[in-house]
Amino acid sequence: MSLFTALQKNAALLGMIVLLGALGACATKVTRMDAAEVQDLSGAWNDTDSQQVSAEMIQDVLNRPWLTEYTVLQKRQPAVIVGEVRNLSHEHINVNTFVADTERALINSGKVQFVASSTERQEIRGERKDQDLNASEATRKAMGQEKGADFMLQGTINTIIDASGRTQLRYYQVDLTLISLVDNSKVWVGQKKIKKLVERSNLRF
Amino acid sequence: MAVWSERCRVLLCVAALSGCASYSTSFGVIERNLALQQYDVALQNIEQQSTVKHDRVLYLLNKGMVQRMQHDFAGSNQTLEAAKAEMERLYAASVSENTLSFLVNDATVSYAGDDYEQVLVHLYMALNYLELAQPDAARVEALQVDIKLREIGEKIPDSKFTEDAFSRYLTGLIYEEHGEWSDALIAYRKAYEAYQKYQKHYGLALPDMLKHDLLRLTQRQGLSDEAAQYQKKFDLTPPGKEIASQQGELVFILNNGLAPIKREKAISLFDPVSGIMARIALPYYESRFNNVASARIRVSGGQASGKQATSELMEDIDAIARQSLDARLPAITARSLARAVAKTTATRNMQRRNDNDAALDLLGAFAVQVAAIATERADTRSWLTLPANIQLARLSLPPGSYTVTVELRDKDGQVVSSKEYPGVTITQAHKTYLTQHWIPAQPAGRRRAK
Repeated sequence: MSLFTALQKNAALLGMIVLLGALGACATKVTRMDAAEVQDLSGAWNDTDSQQVSAEMIQDVLNRPWLTEYTVLQKRQPAVIVGEVRNLSHEHINVNTFVADTERALINSGKVQFVASSTERQEIRGERKDQDLNASEATRKAMGQEKGADFMLQGTINTIIDASGRTQLRYYQVDLTLISLVDNSKVWVGQKKIKKLVERSNLRF
Repeated sequence: MAVWSERCRVLLCVAALSGCASYSTSFGVIERNLALQQYDVALQNIEQQSTVKHDRVLYLLNKGMVQRMQHDFAGSNQTLEAAKAEMERLYAASVSENTLSFLVNDATVSYAGDDYEQVLVHLYMALNYLELAQPDAARVEALQVDIKLREIGEKIPDSKFTEDAFSRYLTGLIYEEHGEWSDALIAYRKAYEAYQKYQKHYGLALPDMLKHDLLRLTQRQGLSDEAAQYQKKFDLTPPGKEIASQQGELVFILNNGLAPIKREKAISLFDPVSGIMARIALPYYESRFNNVASARIRVSGGQASGKQATSELMEDIDAIARQSLDARLPAITARSLARAVAKTTATRNMQRRNDNDAALDLLGAFAVQVAAIATERADTRSWLTLPANIQLARLSLPPGSYTVTVELRDKDGQVVSSKEYPGVTITQAHKTYLTQHWIPAQPAGRRRAK
């Protein structure tokens, strides 16, 4: 029996093998990556941008004079609250990641205290109300004992897009501001700029 | 072996035949369910189209549109965002698909959406976000509209559709909501420019609302020369100061009817000498039946009870779609002709083969001929759940909760349909958005052409 006829006889089997091989290629493939690894896919705002922004902001906010000045003057640590970081860019951006990063770094530095944000407070107040009714006298937490914040962290994300043909220049600017609740003075302004050149492909298979 | 290969060819032809039903014919069932407002069933029908890879954009667009008819605005945005991503992926032309389209037909190329469809995705996402009361996210879409329109304008500068007037106008409303007066004014100016083009190409008049907005904003920004110019040109009385920030506003948007549907017209040519038949199939637009000409909104409850407004035509998608196809028809025709030549050559080659079995040759040639003719179908794909036109009514109201009655009227002013929206909240210095889709049942067996 020649190889050719053998192949013909086993054509069905061969077909199955090829099909199975094709199936294997269709299965979802997952590759674990390090969180710090840079992987740009579409050119849109991604995790790397978010991390770069938070790293920059944390570095900056902890090394500026407002912190020591306040601590020396008031003889206590400042209490900060996170306000709104408005997305004024052209992309739907999740701002929570770098706000949370910045918040974490500030709390963990031990130099700043954080107060729950307005949405978080609502839930806490609900719990306190519930305690009022159901918790024992010894463990009940009284209302009206909340700590007022001294500063509020606010911010914006802006973008400028310049495009020609399939080339696009994307410029992101993130501004975070720390504003004193006493007199509206701005004690710190952090800024991070990111610039990307995105070239779209003209052809695909 | 020869018999086998011929059989294979015949089989191939049959396979090709089965894949040939044109896209727009599959819309009938969906459309009937939409007219009955059975959105769940319509969604199930649309879901059946999810597997067709090169129509994925259309599947997502239709699904997103029906989801917003169901008032599932968040779900609609998720779907439309996926449609945008798919359009972006299809920006790069596919080598394999274009080769196939030269051999089979235009419908084998992945559909990335017509220019106007690509702009309207952003418009509907913005409307979704506005109805979800997320003005910041709507602003994101407004910025994307700007980027998209710039891209289109650069790609085809002499195209009639380089500006989308209503999208510009809506972005103006969004900027105004954010207190970004200069951005809003720029958007209104661009809308004004675009409406002038609309008037020329589609016969759509400049909406009165825009005239007032232009005057109001130029006055606000202290551009007295420009304001005087608008006042004179539009013959307007300057607005009083009292309409200021005390009031809120209701913005009602009517998505009226259905966008035109592409049908196929085909010419078959027979060459008696060679016995070869060639076919050329081209798409044309057919307008849909609609009995509603305008909407009147009336509020009840609160201090402003009885206040009413009539909608104005803001965007004539029917006309835009027709113009767009007219502009592309020469290219479509050229491609169809080239295909006819290629297919005829293939048939002739089959006839002239010097095989021993003449009967088989004839059969083969016949099979190729059948395939060539059967596969020559027009590309009838378009975003069919879009409305035929978009109308808008604005009503300035004191803050409070109202019941809004929407009356849809025909061209003689007779009420066709009436719907009540209870508990519409108007807040101070903000706009509350309310949208309605009107899809009339299409009369059976009757086709209306414009």
